[in-house]
Amino acid sequence: MQVSTKWLKDYIDIDLTADELAEKFTMAGIPVENVIHAGEGLEKVITGRIEDLKAHPDSDHLQICQMDIGADNLLQIVTGAPNVEEGQIVPVAMIGAHLPNGQKISKGKMRGVASNGMLCSAGELKLDLEGLPIEQQTGIYILPEDTPIGIPVAEVLGLDDDILEFELTANRGDCFSVVGLVRELSVLTGKRPKYPEIVVDENDKRTAEDLVKIGIDAKDLCSRFSARVLTNVKLKQSPEWMIKRLEGAGMRAINNVVDVTNFVMLEYGQPLHAYDFDKVVGHELTARRAEEGEPLHTLDDSNRLAKGGELVIADAEKAAGLAGIMGGFETEITEDTTTVILEAACFNPASIRRTGRAVGLHSEASGRFERGTNEKGTITALNRVAQLLQDMDACTVCHGVVDVYPEPKDDVKIKFTTAQINERLGTKYTDEEIVKVLEALGFEVEKASVIDDIGDTIEDITDNVFGRLSGLAKSITKSVRGISKTSDVNDAVKDIGNSIGDMVKDTNINLPVESYEVTVPEWRNDVKLPEDLSEEVARIYGFDKIPSTMPKGNQQGRQTDTQNFIDKIKKILSGLGMCEELSFAFTSEAMFDKMRMPADSELRRSVPIMNPLTDVSPLLRTTLLASIFENAVRNYSRKNEDVRLFEVAPVFFPKALPITELPVEKQKLAGLLMGRREPKGWSQDSAQIDFYDAKGIVEELLSGLSISGYNVERGEHFSLHPGKTAIFTKGRDILVTVGEVHPAVAEALGIKKKIYVFEADIATLQKFAAKKFTLETLPKYPSISRDLAILVNHDTAAADVEKVIAKNGGTFFKGVTLFDVYTGERISADKKSLAFAIEFRSKERTLKDEEADEAFNNILAAVEKEFGATLRS
Amino acid sequence: MEQQIQELRERANDAIKNSASTLKELDEVRVKFLGKKGELTALLRGMNQLTADERPKVGKLVNEARAEIEQLIAEKNSELKAKELETKLASEKIDVTLPGRKVHAGHLHPLTLTLNRVKEIFISMGYTVEEGPEVETDYYNFEALNLPKDHPARDMQDSFYITEDILLRTQTSPVQARTMQSHEPNTPIRMIAPGRVYRRDDYDASHSPMFTQVEGLVIDKGISFADLKGTLEDFSKKIFGEKTKIRLRPSFFPFTEPSTEIDVSCVMCHGEGCKVCQGSGWLEILGAGMVHPNVLKMSGYNPEEVSGFAFGMGIERIAMLTYGLDDMRLLYDNDVRFLNQF
Repeated sequence: MQVSTKWLKDYIDIDLTADELAEKFTMAGIPVENVIHAGEGLEKVITGRIEDLKAHPDSDHLQICQMDIGADNLLQIVTGAPNVEEGQIVPVAMIGAHLPNGQKISKGKMRGVASNGMLCSAGELKLDLEGLPIEQQTGIYILPEDTPIGIPVAEVLGLDDDILEFELTANRGDCFSVVGLVRELSVLTGKRPKYPEIVVDENDKRTAEDLVKIGIDAKDLCSRFSARVLTNVKLKQSPEWMIKRLEGAGMRAINNVVDVTNFVMLEYGQPLHAYDFDKVVGHELTARRAEEGEPLHTLDDSNRLAKGGELVIADAEKAAGLAGIMGGFETEITEDTTTVILEAACFNPASIRRTGRAVGLHSEASGRFERGTNEKGTITALNRVAQLLQDMDACTVCHGVVDVYPEPKDDVKIKFTTAQINERLGTKYTDEEIVKVLEALGFEVEKASVIDDIGDTIEDITDNVFGRLSGLAKSITKSVRGISKTSDVNDAVKDIGNSIGDMVKDTNINLPVESYEVTVPEWRNDVKLPEDLSEEVARIYGFDKIPSTMPKGNQQGRQTDTQNFIDKIKKILSGLGMCEELSFAFTSEAMFDKMRMPADSELRRSVPIMNPLTDVSPLLRTTLLASIFENAVRNYSRKNEDVRLFEVAPVFFPKALPITELPVEKQKLAGLLMGRREPKGWSQDSAQIDFYDAKGIVEELLSGLSISGYNVERGEHFSLHPGKTAIFTKGRDILVTVGEVHPAVAEALGIKKKIYVFEADIATLQKFAAKKFTLETLPKYPSISRDLAILVNHDTAAADVEKVIAKNGGTFFKGVTLFDVYTGERISADKKSLAFAIEFRSKERTLKDEEADEAFNNILAAVEKEFGATLRS
Repeated sequence: MEQQIQELRERANDAIKNSASTLKELDEVRVKFLGKKGELTALLRGMNQLTADERPKVGKLVNEARAEIEQLIAEKNSELKAKELETKLASEKIDVTLPGRKVHAGHLHPLTLTLNRVKEIFISMGYTVEEGPEVETDYYNFEALNLPKDHPARDMQDSFYITEDILLRTQTSPVQARTMQSHEPNTPIRMIAPGRVYRRDDYDASHSPMFTQVEGLVIDKGISFADLKGTLEDFSKKIFGEKTKIRLRPSFFPFTEPSTEIDVSCVMCHGEGCKVCQGSGWLEILGAGMVHPNVLKMSGYNPEEVSGFAFGMGIERIAMLTYGLDDMRLLYDNDVRFLNQF
């Protein structure tokens, strides 16, 4: 909705600038999105007449104009425009003008001839080019012959009016009209509005009811259908003032009938439609549901077939328009029209919205119906149209209105108390202040009848009185029981007297607080509850007047264990030199293919999006690797070759396909490493990351999460190198999968580097993370270390050897560290050398060498037996 | 004899001072004079030729000479050592302007850092952190929030649909309803719900089809709009600085009544007006309001007994303001040159 400030000022006498108005409206909940200061840039552009025109001596296209600008002397301006002639009145930009298109005008010479300004084109003035003769679209803008000379061009063009562009909220349909905005403005400024006085002269003796038949079949979609019949209609141009108002509101003038219906829609918020009476078959109009496949030929000359169920307005033969959205082609007003049926109806907002979206049509009218119109306002709007057309001498009006209104809406009444409103707002407005605002907004406020509330109150009083009487009885009994001698009697009587006194004093029987009942004005469809009234009070007095307090009471803030666990994972991994990424949850079959995901993989069963943004990402991911690969590709393509990323995020698994219920969401962790082991530097290792770097990160992560006692074994994953994939397991659960990305996957991704990834399930990790920290006390006695260097077969797993060492290490065995692996010339090709440092220690005393030797020999014997290992000499 | 001693002292003195320029040479001097076969020892040996009267006197002189020479050697020794150390240090000089050896430092994503700050502030105010699914039912995402089908406010949020009734949540507000329903009716709630939300917006400098929202909900007896204002004022000061001011504009959300949009004084120009705030001096960062009675009722709470407020904010916006980012896509491109800066 946009409206010019002049139009508002037609109906209320206010002296506020457009910016001040915008601020006032916005702070009252009627947001102004933008203020267009019309005429901006036209301050130094005035009208001038070309008195003399000569060709430029040194140019074949420039001309020298002598301009009469209403001053004593003529002004010389050189122009290059081809469409100028002597006698024309044109816009003249004076020296110092800063035109709306950004151009600044300064004194200058053109091929040696002084030029003191510029003749302007429509484009340079940012005028609407549509409707202009072709030569004026590119050349100089020619003003009418009777235009006065030397006056601001903004005045001539009607551009001295500022425009407010509203971004109305969905609830305030009533503000979708000038009258509605003025109503608000009147409350905000305290100024009285001056709405138009509507008088219709029903000067055609025929009665509308006799001429047309109006019906409503779909009462749920159309609650009221009112119509008037206008005769002797003369189609012509609307008066200038109306055209300006319409243009200020962003609408183009067409002809008086269309213009007036638009004008009244803007003025009162009630959309109207005019039918050519003679083309409405049977002279009857009915609001009914369209049948499936019913043809709809609309104003825009497009032919649609109804889906069925849309609300249409039909004549005796066919649908004559999509109700509230677009009129029909056949019944449209044309130059031949002499009699008009004017419709003002009230349609169901949801139905209009549904149909509008389905057919992809949105209009000023449908926007208003979607927000809800004032059901009681149809007749006013019809009368206003009739009045305006009569004022233009463009029609006669038939007697009466045809008004089909099967179930008139009841007034909405709301009860409230001042306390209720103040409690919700945290304010201390008085009864008077609240009543004043509501009445100003058009609510009728009455004190609610006390009788209504008395039933509850009597019960309260009874409870109260009985409660207190029983308390009194107890205290009297107590006083009497205390009597043991005559003198006590006086004390007891005094006590009893006090107790009765206290009771009377305390008995503030809560009579019903003054409560009110308001009748909601007919135009406010959005106000239904006392809570809505609290907003009215708050917004009119201003949200800035509401105090700032903090909620009372204390609660313990916290995260869940899982949230803390995820935070810990992120902290550990960022501590290990990894960067956290955040990616979209979308993926595609193409990515699955690149990942070598088998056709029958469970991970191919993903959740499809009905309306994806692009075809590139129509699925929800089932593996985080899909996302992290994308980020690796993006980085690699930007020449970022050293990448260490991780992410914790959900993946989605459908319970059934097609989807019938919410999918399962699982939080996953993924990590990716590629590039150099160490950052590039003058004295740094230039080696590339390998499998064991990735594995080391995983081990540190697990240790940081207090997960221990896991196994590491060879694993399999479709995206990973079959020989360089490991799984960390605990029981049947896989904690982490880590490995080198399969060369075919890397190639499909376009990355010519080795990539290492790991993936884990958060819930599984959390399941095995020790809840409590256990400290290993520092040893009191020194340990003894023995090195074991052995030759084993090439495919013997080091982890298996370690297991055997640990198993046979005896009571003093403390730990084993693999510190060297060798394959090469010095040993036979099918062997490898493993060197372990084995540590022995006693908790009670310093260990003797012989004890360590004995344990060492046991270990040696065991590895010789298990692996055929030989000591390396 | 006395003369000999005197002469020896002078020679030794001279040798120590002038001819011993290294520790090794000094040691040679020491051996020459004080060593077992040294000159002073030789002199001592010659003492048996002296008379008993002379012996103590000469003995004293010899001892004095020894002490003096030893003293001189010690002095020279430390002098030479200091010199030697100096030479050694001078030879060890390196180019300290060479860059230090780099280590891979990891980084949390700026959105995580921002979200963590927001969470800390609310946890310190007694809020719990709640979660809900990202794929939601139409019921929780819209209907339970007083947004029935065909409500025009649904236009504000173009959704990604999975089926007619299942969609990617467009807001974290559904967690409100889920949390209320998991509570004993009418018991107090003070929660925030951070999470990813999805809207069918084109991906550009200020829009993203997925972004991060934090929803907040407080329900208790006697909660007022003033409490909402105080809470969010406090939050704004904590996150944007003590001098931050807030401005409440009335607005409309179907799930709150009254509803408000909250602006903070521009973090860049502090209200003067700049490019970031488009000259207004204010930045819109929050939507909020008093929970609509229908929302309470639908989730089993009685609006006659309790009231509450709710608010929602975009973490991207706060992160972009905090870190001075001008393009939202930086946050989701995951370019390591960007991530490494946080």
